[in-house]
Amino acid sequence: MNKNNTNISSILKSVSKPGRYSGGEYGQIIKDKSKVAARFAFCFPDTYEIGMSNLGVRILYGVLNKEDDVWCERVYNPWIDMQEKMKEHGLPLRACESGDPLTEFDMIGFTLQYEMSYTNVLNMLDLAGIPLRSADRDDSMPIIIGGGPCAYNAEPVADFFDLFNIGEGEEMLPELCRLYIKMKKEGRYTKREYLHEAARSIEGIYVPSLYEVTYNEDGTVKAYTPIYDDIPRQVKKRIMKDMDESYFPEDAVMPYIETVHDRIMLEVYRGCIRGCRFCQAGMIYRPVREKTPEVLNRQAKCLYESTGYDEISLTSLSISDYTELERLTDLLLEWTNENMINLSLPSLRVDSFTKELMDKIATVRSSSLTFAPEAGTQRLRDVINKNVREDDLMRAVGVAFAAGKNTVKLYFMSGLPTERYEDLKGIADLASMVIDKYYDTPERNRSKKPQVTISVSCFIPKPFTPFQWEAQDTMEMLADKQEYLGSCITDKKIRYTHHDARVSRIEAVLARGDRRLAPALELACKEGFKFDAWDECFDYDKWISVFERCGIDPAFYANRAFGLDEVLPWDIIDCGVTKEFLLRERNKAYEGNTTPNCREKCSGCGANKLGGERTCCPKARS
Amino acid sequence: MLSESQKLIEKKRIKSLPELERPRTVRLKFIKVGSLQYISHLDLQRTFNRVIVRACLPIWYTKGFNPHAKLVFSTPLSIGAQSTCEFLDIRIDREMSCETIMERLNAELTEELKIVDAYIPERDFADIKWASYDISITSGGISENTPEQIMQRIKEPIFMLKKTKAGEKEIDITGLIHSFSCKLVEGDIKISCTLSASSTEYLNPELLISGLARECDLLCGSPLEEHYDIIRTSLYDAEFNLFK
Repeated sequence: MNKNNTNISSILKSVSKPGRYSGGEYGQIIKDKSKVAARFAFCFPDTYEIGMSNLGVRILYGVLNKEDDVWCERVYNPWIDMQEKMKEHGLPLRACESGDPLTEFDMIGFTLQYEMSYTNVLNMLDLAGIPLRSADRDDSMPIIIGGGPCAYNAEPVADFFDLFNIGEGEEMLPELCRLYIKMKKEGRYTKREYLHEAARSIEGIYVPSLYEVTYNEDGTVKAYTPIYDDIPRQVKKRIMKDMDESYFPEDAVMPYIETVHDRIMLEVYRGCIRGCRFCQAGMIYRPVREKTPEVLNRQAKCLYESTGYDEISLTSLSISDYTELERLTDLLLEWTNENMINLSLPSLRVDSFTKELMDKIATVRSSSLTFAPEAGTQRLRDVINKNVREDDLMRAVGVAFAAGKNTVKLYFMSGLPTERYEDLKGIADLASMVIDKYYDTPERNRSKKPQVTISVSCFIPKPFTPFQWEAQDTMEMLADKQEYLGSCITDKKIRYTHHDARVSRIEAVLARGDRRLAPALELACKEGFKFDAWDECFDYDKWISVFERCGIDPAFYANRAFGLDEVLPWDIIDCGVTKEFLLRERNKAYEGNTTPNCREKCSGCGANKLGGERTCCPKARS
Repeated sequence: MLSESQKLIEKKRIKSLPELERPRTVRLKFIKVGSLQYISHLDLQRTFNRVIVRACLPIWYTKGFNPHAKLVFSTPLSIGAQSTCEFLDIRIDREMSCETIMERLNAELTEELKIVDAYIPERDFADIKWASYDISITSGGISENTPEQIMQRIKEPIFMLKKTKAGEKEIDITGLIHSFSCKLVEGDIKISCTLSASSTEYLNPELLISGLARECDLLCGSPLEEHYDIIRTSLYDAEFNLFK
């Protein structure tokens, strides 16, 4: 046990799940701190169980520790009972490996995976005794870095960060460390100089304090103006061009306690060929870049040998779109079966779900399968460009039922642009048709009744999607729609669950927010907001009260249709996909026209200017 | 530690090891100390399942629909207690020396969870009847007289609610104590005791100290969990022979 745990150990017996905090995992990286030039604290702003499951953190932990003179450690947000104990005993937030307080680090990175974790970011800075605002941190304080999908519009938290990584961090983070070490060695490090130099010389670095924002009288953004001439006017995202060559960790820190994804996660490719119009991931991770099956097979074997996990999950946005899925699964099955390792595919599309595929994967063991039609009618599925037909769904569930499964989970979204009540009715009808399909399948398991679970989330307009300009339905509308859909379902074999519209509204505010939200988040932190992604911690009324006291109208961000010619807070970022393309897609949505996927036809999204190997994009420049 | 490519070669080599006529049980004695005291029994089982894969051992797998390695642990340890005498039986189906098994496992473990002995067992886990513990209690409520006070109190019955399979029952826990000594060392109470550890009459040492804390008012109202350390040091059979 590390030295600082002498204090921690006395409180660990009095908190729930102490294994979250005790550390000492096999595979953690310990370095001699007197011999490293930069110490990096990689923070995941949620619990240990969630953070340990994140593949991005695993990759970047490995990438940073590959540098001999950099030591990267992990930090998670302690659960509420632990936070109270730490405060009671005067213990600040510490890193897992060394047990050292965060103030002793040179750099602190936060991965921003979802907007509702913003309060945890501030909560963790607060627990560490670090001033929240970048402007209040002097040269002696660690540099605070943000990255991950929410960094594409991190304006609501821009005042708290020193810089953001836009795009994939495998090269950017080591470059940031190198620059830091170099300036320290040369004795010319000041925070101000460092941030300027990083923005100037490292591609993908966005330093919010170097851009002045002005607003129009109506509250919309007027302009972003760089305060130096030598920094980019728009920050272009970084990508790893060749995924086969890109760093992939061949070992892992092994948690003792059970985590959310306690298995090998094999990243098969990045990006998505589909272009669903509500989906941010489908746009910001473009272009598609595949790994070859041989490389994946070798990486999977290495990970198996170094971890001993008995499950391999093939992760990507839509795994069945991988061009070499057949070859990959064949290669894997050559050795996974005899070693009793299960394969699992988390993201199946109904149009590519086949009996052959199902026979290969571990979900055979569970009795349930999950699909995401997203909308209840063909009209609305065309509007969102889901490109999935009713027949596809019926065929897919037919295959599943014939194989003995009896439960199907279907994901939908309500509040989508142009949605009408008949689209909601369509969700209920689709569920009934699935039930009917069960009884129409002669090979079904006759001893079991079918069950269909429909889970309905609320549409949230997200930056860098064709629906980024759309107004979110008001809470009353969303609640009314949820109730109406509930009334359409009479069959007991259909289970209906829906997301909390209040959480979705706050998420919409934070997703499309600008820098003027900072005081609200600061106040939220002061009021003790944390773990807002957790139902038991989220309090809508408190959020509204915080916005009110800061003079912020949540409807301005969530329920307003943004002007098509308006300067958007995230226009400062170039994610590859152009605004013109997003606008074209938006217009096609309103016409009810679909767009073919990238493999069928290039629709000119613009992401190919970023380059990339094995992209599926006929126009990519490699 | 073997490199990943060495492991692949090793995996292949294992298949050429002489097969055993029937699976052989190998007993592993291990320590579970430091941060590992916060890891539950269930999590420990899962950890060992992965460790035996990493260590490239010729593990015997159960036959059937869902093949798995057979891991049998001795008396479980509760969260918050350390131990230098835990036992785990594994089964192998090919020839491999106990020394090699131990070496390979330790290459995949840490200093806080480490195999200290590996051998062919002669005794059954059911023979375990007693367990010895070293306990220390640190608290503001401790004075010079406290050890004497505890030694007096332990002679009288102490009734505690004990969880049994049939539900909670109030029992006199002193009936489950074989030996007990207590002294003051640098302001902390140090207890050495031997408690019943059979599967039917297991006395959790934490229950004992919470009883003492209540009866002798050791804690001045602060929570017990923040003031003790428990280490299980040895296991015995009914005749007080050291269990191996």
